[in-house]
Amino acid sequence: MTIIAVDIGGTFTDICAIFEQAGARRLSWTKEPSTRTDPVLGVVRGVTRILEEIGQPPSSVTRLLHGTTVGTNAVLERRGARIGLLMTDGFEDTLELGRGFRSNMYRLDPEPETPGFLAPGRRRRAVPERLDADGEVLIPLDEDALRRAVTELVVQEGVEAIGVCYLFSYVNSAHERRTREIIHALYPGLPVSLSHEVDPVFREYERTCMTALDAYLRPVMTGYLERLSGALRTAGIACDVLTMQSRGSLASTRAAGARPFTTLLSGPAAGVVGAQRLATEAGFPDCITLDMGGTSADIALITEGKPITTANGSIEHYPLRTLMVDVNTIGAGGGSVAWLDEAGGLRVGPRSAGAEPGPACYGRGGSEPTVTDASLVLGYLSPEQFAGSIDVDPDAAHRAIERLAQRLGLPLLETAEGIHRIVNARMADEIRLVSLRRGFDPREFALVLFGGGGPVCGWAVARELEIATALVPFAPGALCAYGLSTAALEYDEAVTVKSRADTVDPAALEAAFARLDVAGARRMAEDGVAAADVTAARSADMRHIGQSWELKVPVAAPVTAAAVAATVASFNQLHERIYGHVSDHGAAEFVNLRMTHTHAIDRDLRRSVPAAPHMTAPAPMRRCYFRDLGGMVDTAILTRAAIAPGTTVRGPAVIHQFDTTTVVGPGWSCQADAHGNLVLKAD
Amino acid sequence: MKIDPVTLEVFRNRLDAIAQEMQNTLLKSAYSIMLKEGGDCSCALFSAAGETIAQAVSNPIHLAAFLPAAQHVLARFPAATMREGDVFVLNDPYNGGTHVPDVIVMVPVFAEGVLIAIGCSLGHHQDMGGMAPGSMPANATELLQEGFVIPPTRLYAQGVLNETLVEILRRNVRVPDMVYGDLMAQVAAGKTAALRLGHLIDRHGLELFAAVVPALLDHAERLTRAELARIPPGTYTFEDIIDSDGIDLDRQLRIAVTVTVSAAGMHVDFAGTSPQAKGPANCPPGAVLAPVYYAVHALLGAAIPGNSGAFRPITVSVPERSILSPVAPAPVGIRYHTLKRVVDALMGALSPVLPRRVPAAPHGSDLCMSWGGLDADTGRAFVYMECTTGGTGATWHSDGVDHMACDIGNSRNIPAEAAEIDFPVRIWANRLRIDSGGAGEFRGGLGVERVVELRRGEVTVSHRSDRHFTPPWGLGGGWPGARWTTLVERADGSRDTVPGRLIFRLSAGERVVGLTGGGGGHGDPLDRPPSAVFDDVSDGKVSVQAARKLYGVVIGADARLDAAATASLRATMARRGPAIDRGMRGWALEITNGESDDRGAIASGVTLSAPTSSRKAAP
Repeated sequence: MTIIAVDIGGTFTDICAIFEQAGARRLSWTKEPSTRTDPVLGVVRGVTRILEEIGQPPSSVTRLLHGTTVGTNAVLERRGARIGLLMTDGFEDTLELGRGFRSNMYRLDPEPETPGFLAPGRRRRAVPERLDADGEVLIPLDEDALRRAVTELVVQEGVEAIGVCYLFSYVNSAHERRTREIIHALYPGLPVSLSHEVDPVFREYERTCMTALDAYLRPVMTGYLERLSGALRTAGIACDVLTMQSRGSLASTRAAGARPFTTLLSGPAAGVVGAQRLATEAGFPDCITLDMGGTSADIALITEGKPITTANGSIEHYPLRTLMVDVNTIGAGGGSVAWLDEAGGLRVGPRSAGAEPGPACYGRGGSEPTVTDASLVLGYLSPEQFAGSIDVDPDAAHRAIERLAQRLGLPLLETAEGIHRIVNARMADEIRLVSLRRGFDPREFALVLFGGGGPVCGWAVARELEIATALVPFAPGALCAYGLSTAALEYDEAVTVKSRADTVDPAALEAAFARLDVAGARRMAEDGVAAADVTAARSADMRHIGQSWELKVPVAAPVTAAAVAATVASFNQLHERIYGHVSDHGAAEFVNLRMTHTHAIDRDLRRSVPAAPHMTAPAPMRRCYFRDLGGMVDTAILTRAAIAPGTTVRGPAVIHQFDTTTVVGPGWSCQADAHGNLVLKAD
Repeated sequence: MKIDPVTLEVFRNRLDAIAQEMQNTLLKSAYSIMLKEGGDCSCALFSAAGETIAQAVSNPIHLAAFLPAAQHVLARFPAATMREGDVFVLNDPYNGGTHVPDVIVMVPVFAEGVLIAIGCSLGHHQDMGGMAPGSMPANATELLQEGFVIPPTRLYAQGVLNETLVEILRRNVRVPDMVYGDLMAQVAAGKTAALRLGHLIDRHGLELFAAVVPALLDHAERLTRAELARIPPGTYTFEDIIDSDGIDLDRQLRIAVTVTVSAAGMHVDFAGTSPQAKGPANCPPGAVLAPVYYAVHALLGAAIPGNSGAFRPITVSVPERSILSPVAPAPVGIRYHTLKRVVDALMGALSPVLPRRVPAAPHGSDLCMSWGGLDADTGRAFVYMECTTGGTGATWHSDGVDHMACDIGNSRNIPAEAAEIDFPVRIWANRLRIDSGGAGEFRGGLGVERVVELRRGEVTVSHRSDRHFTPPWGLGGGWPGARWTTLVERADGSRDTVPGRLIFRLSAGERVVGLTGGGGGHGDPLDRPPSAVFDDVSDGKVSVQAARKLYGVVIGADARLDAAATASLRATMARRGPAIDRGMRGWALEITNGESDDRGAIASGVTLSAPTSSRKAAP
């Protein structure tokens, strides 16, 4: 058996294979340039290549997992389906109106922060109908008006899919369901997204966004997944393709096509899941991931071996109310530009030189100093580090930093070190905000470092946060693919109940959970998973009456009066941890009930330590800058392969490997663990 | 101690993050709908000397509002008398407050026994008592009618809650549990500041912290001066209008401003502004700083840190006993619209010299309503509050944005589903208001039509909005945006027009229909590509009539763009001059003088008969 994991990124597609050879499991990975116009081509090319490299036939592939940016790109590049939107009369503009809030207070030429592009006014229709908050019908559905509206949308506007969002449909879905019947009577097979199925939770703007996104992405995602499966079958791979969801677990092709917005943050989620698996295996179930790339740094929190998720995320400024790994992004990356403000203050980012023109040292026309240029000046990176991909010009990096240093009136090295100190402090600030918002003290966590810049800056960020341990995965470049190959198949069902905990009928909650259980179990059965291999977990979004921010707490099965009391107690505990106080006024209430069905595909996956790809051995010593040591000092330069498990490298040291560079600062030491990871520890 | 630029930048980010964390704590643990859904609250860190060090992103109107508060608290309770565990509270507009519903909580932060900072939070409370629910009566004539007034007072003394104050407060407000819950959320935000600053000082030492604070302020001052130097020196003037003070409904109030830019900085003089008013359009002392700082910050660039240093090059003078500097006990509850007009006046003054920075006037108000009564079903008192915004002004390169908060305001609207779950109200509509964006090469953003009905019982409505009579001005040949209009649909079928500020009763089944204002247009509408106008018509943002009259774009009976007819119509139309179009006697009259036109009728607030849009399914 062979498991193939494919992570399609903007520039490269990472491919990872887990296979059996001589009775042992092995892991191999490679990179293939992404094919932007049709990502399927790059996937098939990469999969074919890795199978040749490992000498396994296509027929041996039992599972193919992938993370995709198809949905994300369709939103960012406005390339989704042409959709119509049907709304309760009076609310036909909800998608475009949003909440009226703006995110940049001081901008005098603001841009819209609502996704009106999903369905501009000409493709939205008001439908006479109205329910009240209890689901009682105030105005019956006007079926003739509805038929006219649908016909107009299809005939005049040529819509390829229709979204329907009526007020309070999550309480009573009859009007939405009848609407679908009518649409299908007129246009059989036209894709229809109903808000009570997509996101059965209150607040109409957020639910409308989800419904419109669903309709907008569904034809795109279904078409893509069909083409991918077809192309893979042609290449001899017949197994089902599983897709990474934003929440950090997998979905079948059918499920991903049916709920395309669940994959919008597929890529970052795969990285976090990979980090979670590695860190947990390495003995760090509580960790914070720091993925520092070219333009930004992604931060996520993992507690008790599980990534923290959120149901209130966003894409651009648009609300994305689906469970997702809570990845927090700040504009701090290798390409972040260092600049002087009008008063001589040194700033770093958020503007990035990106990959084009890139840092000054790339020699692609960039002349502004960046974090990567500073890394070169400080000696952390060396030109051979970039071997193969980019011809790096260290002199250009020096010139760029020198120009800044002269204007700043600081020596060259202090300027370069200052750039690092500022960007590191910004990452530390964000990590503090992210963890404290969840009620966690970052000092109790390990830091997992990946992305091109994470292992370079990580020890200093850890020191700033008083974090004692940092982990550099065995193959940071293959982390997403690794996350894919170890993730579980998982589905989530939710329903709004809005009941006071002190008066709720436990039997009613039990019945609601039972309905969610049936729905989730059905999805698993559709994917061919035996009921015995599925675990189901119940939770509830709770709040104090009057509050509008919910906290998710587990609920024991079956729901009895005692279980309700226990749930309230754990809600109060969580509330106190996060907000520092328990309400002594508002009683607790259940807002949404959730049920998660999980099939841990390969609980026993074990991997052997992979051989590191070949690279030229660097010089044994180089001058590197460390402020604590007073300047440039002789620093040991090692290759990753040279560090055997159990040996300890004392900082300062720089460790190069195929896909990253790890800096071990003074006062820190580094060991390779039994899994092939580097573990950095503060003395 | 000399602070190097790297340390300075590291601390600046750190302090901003602490302010943001305070804001997170407040938003998440608040109780009332205005705080939790509306986000009507702010947090800031102050120095021991009462200067702003860092602020959290939220409502700009609140940020400078902390300055007088900090000064009054420090005057009443000198640093030497403050103790660890103390918490201060106030809402007295004449002792550092803004208006009565805004409660400011200050938590002093100590290190090594010395006051080093103050963690401040401001929350707009659902109700603080007084003659009207929501505590912003449009017809108040003295402060005490507006609500329960708290001068700077200890809420906690060395960790012990002032139970007496809390009991008296609870007895004087309509929703005591909610007020108390929000107040405690504010205390939690302030304690967050103490906790985080404590860590920071443990780590870096008091000496460094004490040296960084003035260095941060000096840096912001230098930055502001450098940016100010880009504005051509000179003296610039403008005037704008407020509908009324809520008492003398037929008397408009004037904001007059003279801005002098020189090497010394910027001086803003409000000489010529209307005298103190009977009604609550007055602004409490110091309140004018918020819109002035907001405008300067927005014009000079957001890269300037929002601390007190940035404000040093700016001086402000206000005429005594004017609406910007009233004498107690003049009411101040509805200062919001007055302060928005201060921004408009400043922008208008600088528009000739900053043509690439000043947009046309934005909607200029908010439809703020507080509905208070007893819920007929539950017998409990409630106050339902909502704020609905309008469209932003068109800019030198882009259309305005529909339904988006602007300048000193930044609240969220209330979802219909959230409102109806919790209150006896029904939201019948919340949709774009056709033709409300000022015509121009770049069109102003649209306002909305919001219809709210009372489901049961009876309520008192406190209604507050502005620009019902003077529309948001257009720039560079653009037309003004639509004025604000509110109508009450009575049970007997009759309709009342609400002149902006009014207290009225509403019975079950009666509705308030609010039409919020649009942003002004920018540039001559004849320069707008016909295809863009056609798109607007297709999307229901511009009517066929307005396309023809204002843009010279002809849409045929087949709903297609008639290019030939458009070209010949445009050839006959006069081009508009570059002057600011204030619409005082402008387009509404001009348009209604011809055939009957819905746009003009709506804008002048006479009848409600919105043009039907082709995209609405007919019932």
